[in-house]
Amino acid sequence: MKRFILVLMVLALVVPAFAAGQKEAAPGQIVVKTMAYGDNSNPEGVNWVRIVDAFHKANPGIKIDYELLYDEAYHQKVAARLASGDVPHLAYMGADARWGAPWKEASQQFDHRPFIDGKVFDLNLIPPMGPKNEIFVLPLGTSNITTVLYMNEALVKSLGFAEPKTYEDLVAMVPKAKAAGLEVVSIDGADGWAWGSCYMSAIIARLSGDANWVSKAVAGQYKFTDQVFVDSLAMITRMVKDGVIAEKSVLVDYGANLSTFSNKKALFVVQGQWAAGSIDPAVADTTKMLAWPKLPGEKPAMAGSVAAAIQVGYGLTKAGAADAKVRDAALKFMMYFYSVEETTLRLREGAIVAPILKNYQVPADLPLIVKQKVSLAQSAKNTDVIDAFLGGAANDALNAGMQKIVTGAATPAQVAAEVEKLLRK
Amino acid sequence: MRGRNGRNLPVYIGMVVPALSIFLFIVAYPIIYSFWLSLTDFNPNRGGEWNFVGIAQYAKMFNDPNFWHALKNNLIVVGVSVFGQIPLGFGLAYILFRKHVRASGFFQSMLFLPHFLSTIVIGILWKRMFQADGPVSTLLQYLSGDPSAQFTLMLRAETVMYPIGFALIWIYTGLYMVIFLANLQKLDKEMLEAAQIDGASEFQIFMRVVVPALSGTILVSSILAIAGSLRGFDLIYSITTQGLQRNNAMVLPIFMYQTAFQDFNNDSRFAYGAAISNAIILISVSLIIISNIIGKRLKAGEEN
Repeated sequence: MKRFILVLMVLALVVPAFAAGQKEAAPGQIVVKTMAYGDNSNPEGVNWVRIVDAFHKANPGIKIDYELLYDEAYHQKVAARLASGDVPHLAYMGADARWGAPWKEASQQFDHRPFIDGKVFDLNLIPPMGPKNEIFVLPLGTSNITTVLYMNEALVKSLGFAEPKTYEDLVAMVPKAKAAGLEVVSIDGADGWAWGSCYMSAIIARLSGDANWVSKAVAGQYKFTDQVFVDSLAMITRMVKDGVIAEKSVLVDYGANLSTFSNKKALFVVQGQWAAGSIDPAVADTTKMLAWPKLPGEKPAMAGSVAAAIQVGYGLTKAGAADAKVRDAALKFMMYFYSVEETTLRLREGAIVAPILKNYQVPADLPLIVKQKVSLAQSAKNTDVIDAFLGGAANDALNAGMQKIVTGAATPAQVAAEVEKLLRK
Repeated sequence: MRGRNGRNLPVYIGMVVPALSIFLFIVAYPIIYSFWLSLTDFNPNRGGEWNFVGIAQYAKMFNDPNFWHALKNNLIVVGVSVFGQIPLGFGLAYILFRKHVRASGFFQSMLFLPHFLSTIVIGILWKRMFQADGPVSTLLQYLSGDPSAQFTLMLRAETVMYPIGFALIWIYTGLYMVIFLANLQKLDKEMLEAAQIDGASEFQIFMRVVVPALSGTILVSSILAIAGSLRGFDLIYSITTQGLQRNNAMVLPIFMYQTAFQDFNNDSRFAYGAAISNAIILISVSLIIISNIIGKRLKAGEEN
């Protein structure tokens, strides 16, 4: 009996070890350690698993050994893996203060320029990301517009109005909208980042007349205490006072915001271009994607501008590029991942604004809202997105500060002073 | 080689070493590493270079208003746990034990039910309750007759812990109720009957007989509550939205997480985060020691 128990215990220890071993790469396979973005319930994650499975079948000599994580879990794991020295070869990353900072800090950004095939990718659509014009990541698409004003055209027309050309046009809609129990501009003001990325990034460029005001301020050329930034913050107070944005918006999160718009309870919603795919299809068919109309005090040079950041995508790390076999395997996978078919699917699903592929033919049967997005990207002037340049405590203070302005707990000048203090600390 | 009682020493060592190794590796080593890290400016992402900075990270922490704000919130959570969940759980357990309500099994299940749910799910659930025009705001609008009334306690630093405290009580009271109920079953029923025959009221039985008898359980529950409250991260993180709400409700684990994993402007963010972690451990141990001292003075735990 004792021997039998002993054998069982040994088996209990050994079998899982062998079982785990079965998942390991086969002998001779090149393993590309990857950090992928998505989860099993969203299109990014589902598509990732499908693409990797198909790639494995077509390329049995390569194993994409991936970890699929989403949102905060992804960012947390990136920091943990880099700190522990377990650097992936290939990862979902960006080049800005939010998506690029950990890779930059760990000196893992790799310049892809010598390896990007100019016959496949349109190099004019991939912006430089480093001080020497390096390209650290292959973006999923062209610039990522963060300050879109989605308009439910049918609802606006039902109240007797047309597309607003000026801020005053928006203000004029307030009484009728209120009487109809509708909000004018809905924003997920409970999420601090929405104020920075989706709102203030557009306002500061418009009022300052400088598309790169934010990056210049972070670099020290301007100060966040400059009157133009305080005035930009004061626009929040004005919009709340005018009823364009509801005071209760600071209690509305991302999901509730899109739900408000999809349920026809708001004339407009402020969000990034990525939200287009989350709008109810029936409402999406009557939705127009706009830049903010002309604002009071706006400089003509920035008329109709939108804030846009370089889109994230997949990139090799220095650790991955160090071994030529791993690097080539990763690049082969990237070509598979950025194929015309997969890129078209991303375009249809609203994940990207426009492809970065060379001579890409936009399908004629794209959903209306996707066409709107492409049109906006092609026509609007692009300006800095705040959190692409401002990070850490200063960015947190700005986001929370704008929420305080809405609730009346802080003045624009106080918030500006706090941001400036934390930035220069 | 033989041990004192004639047994084979290598067998003892063989039995102890695996568990000891695991303990040293996953418990002792991280604590020691964290303490060392907090005395340096080491950032593993910047290569292997580091400087010994003494207690500079701790000095910085004590001068950081965010630390004191987070500590205050943590102590509120401790207060809610020790003086809210435990007395309520005890009281409810006593009511069920004495069968002062019908369908005690139903109430027991309902009160314990939140403990079966994921904390993240509970956090999201309460976040929905508190959102604009959500159930709580709708109730306020109904009661006040003001259709624009909103539940705004989450937006102010001085009030944010009220709704969070309420949610904490909702989640954990059932757990303490079950702990007390299990210990109440061990009480000598004849003793309670004797007190009743002697003319003691229900309140007197509870205060003079039951509470002293379960003082050890109260002490253990307090220690559990203190330790749980100080490491609590998930509920507060999920019940708040990023920005003002989370800043208002910041507790030490969230402060540590945001410092170490998100503040890329701080070169020594991991070392600073380690200092905050060590502070959590020290505060936790101090509070547990205080609980033990109070327990000893009250002669808690001598019922067995």
